[in-house]
Amino acid sequence: MSLLEIKNLVVETNGKVILNGVDLKIKTGEVFALLGPNASGKSTLAKTIMGLPEYKIKKGEIVFKGKDIKRLALEKRVKEGIALVFQNPPALQGIKLEKLLNLISKKKSGYEEKHLNLLERDVNVNFSGGEKKISELMQVLALNPDLMILDEIDSGLDIKKREEVVNIIKEKVKDGMSVLIITHQGEILEQINPNRVGITMEGKIICESTDFRKVLKNIKENDYAKCRQCKKM
Amino acid sequence: MPSADSVKKCNPDFLLIDNDVKFINKSEEVLILSSIDAWNSLNWTKKYFDGKPKGGYFIWVKKQIDFPLSTCVNIASFEVKQDLQNLMVIEEGIKAKANVLCSSLKNNLLGTHRAKGKLILKNGASLEYNHIHKWGSMDNVFPDYEFILETGSSLDYNYSNMFPPKELNIKNKIICGDNSSVNLSISINGIDSNIKIKEEVFLSGKGAQAISKLKLVGRKNSNIVAESSIIAKEKSKGHIDCQSLMIDNKSKISSIPLLVCENKDAQITHEASIGRVSEEQLNYLRARGLNEKQAIDLIVSGFLKA
Repeated sequence: MSLLEIKNLVVETNGKVILNGVDLKIKTGEVFALLGPNASGKSTLAKTIMGLPEYKIKKGEIVFKGKDIKRLALEKRVKEGIALVFQNPPALQGIKLEKLLNLISKKKSGYEEKHLNLLERDVNVNFSGGEKKISELMQVLALNPDLMILDEIDSGLDIKKREEVVNIIKEKVKDGMSVLIITHQGEILEQINPNRVGITMEGKIICESTDFRKVLKNIKENDYAKCRQCKKM
Repeated sequence: MPSADSVKKCNPDFLLIDNDVKFINKSEEVLILSSIDAWNSLNWTKKYFDGKPKGGYFIWVKKQIDFPLSTCVNIASFEVKQDLQNLMVIEEGIKAKANVLCSSLKNNLLGTHRAKGKLILKNGASLEYNHIHKWGSMDNVFPDYEFILETGSSLDYNYSNMFPPKELNIKNKIICGDNSSVNLSISINGIDSNIKIKEEVFLSGKGAQAISKLKLVGRKNSNIVAESSIIAKEKSKGHIDCQSLMIDNKSKISSIPLLVCENKDAQITHEASIGRVSEEQLNYLRARGLNEKQAIDLIVSGFLKA
């Protein structure tokens, strides 16, 4: 049985349809990578699964652990086992990361000791790109989710930070966590080795493959042009 | 700034419960008396008191100290009325820190706390004054403080009230002498409270500087009126920053900054804003498993602290 199953999902925000019939299945312990050009609906899908209220589901189902969760409030989806690493998390003035982590969970992610300097700082205030990602991962892992959604986790990371992030993700996958990784660049996939990869175009997942290297090669050579042709066919 | 709990845990130099002085610390550098004893034994203090005091403390920092002063004024019994006069004098060139806690020990005591305070910072003295209020929801509280900053002195005044009473009427008057400076910070989490704040900073000396920061939160039927003014009499600089956060539609905040300039070389400015909780922040925290109330409480505490 799939951990997550999305069926014919249609989503709009600000009166505009962004997702137009998405189907997706992710199994327990599986890493699914979602690639696609800008504005193809990748982040919208991530935020809709998470339950951010500005994304209105017009049609379709989001089934998680066998239950349709589309009417479940954001925080309740967290309790069910879904957690999202935001691409652009907001700055929280006056709120120390340590305080937030303590509120999220009594359990720690295990990465706090390496980043004590971050714990004393206000969440995302003057954080570098890499620090934001580490902070996001610490928060999400403190929740110990069954499905971790990583929205552009590789943007703004230097080589060292990327390695750290990749190691954290790999460790969690090894422990059985499912991951939906959304990436524009795709380079991080070489290190993550996803089980499957999908491509979004104009609000749909238009193809899926188990050979992510082949997909990346195609994208590198043709940008998303071939995908567009494929779609036409 | 220390939290109310950390002040509570520390051993106070002066402890008043209801209207009984329970403890006064003795040290070589600082003379601490009840205000009544100060009135009776130190003639010079009479010019600072507003008539014979009925209660309160007198703190005279005569020599440099390397520990923070701490006072606790508590209401512990039902329907207690405190009518206090507090006087603090910091002698020339001395740097001091004071943690001042005024609180009710229970939520439903219907207490009344009136405190008239005067703080004198002599030439070149500096004081960090952390004033923490923690009241029951049925108390009535009327602090009325005057700060006199002599030449070259500096004051950091941090007032924090996360547990407001039913009625809170704060008056602060700050008189700044030549080259003195003051940083005022007032943070109030208005919950079902009627709150009036009247703050007046007089830049009376040349080169005086003042920054006044007000952070107010209105929730659960609160009505807050905050008047914050800077009156520049000499060549001086001042700035007022009033920021407020509205949590619900049942509350009302009136934020009134006022600038009065009586000297063409003075520079005084103000900014004021009243906003609401950011949806982006709220949803971000909900995506971390916090419910809406927990998320709002956290955003409010961050707003008041930042």
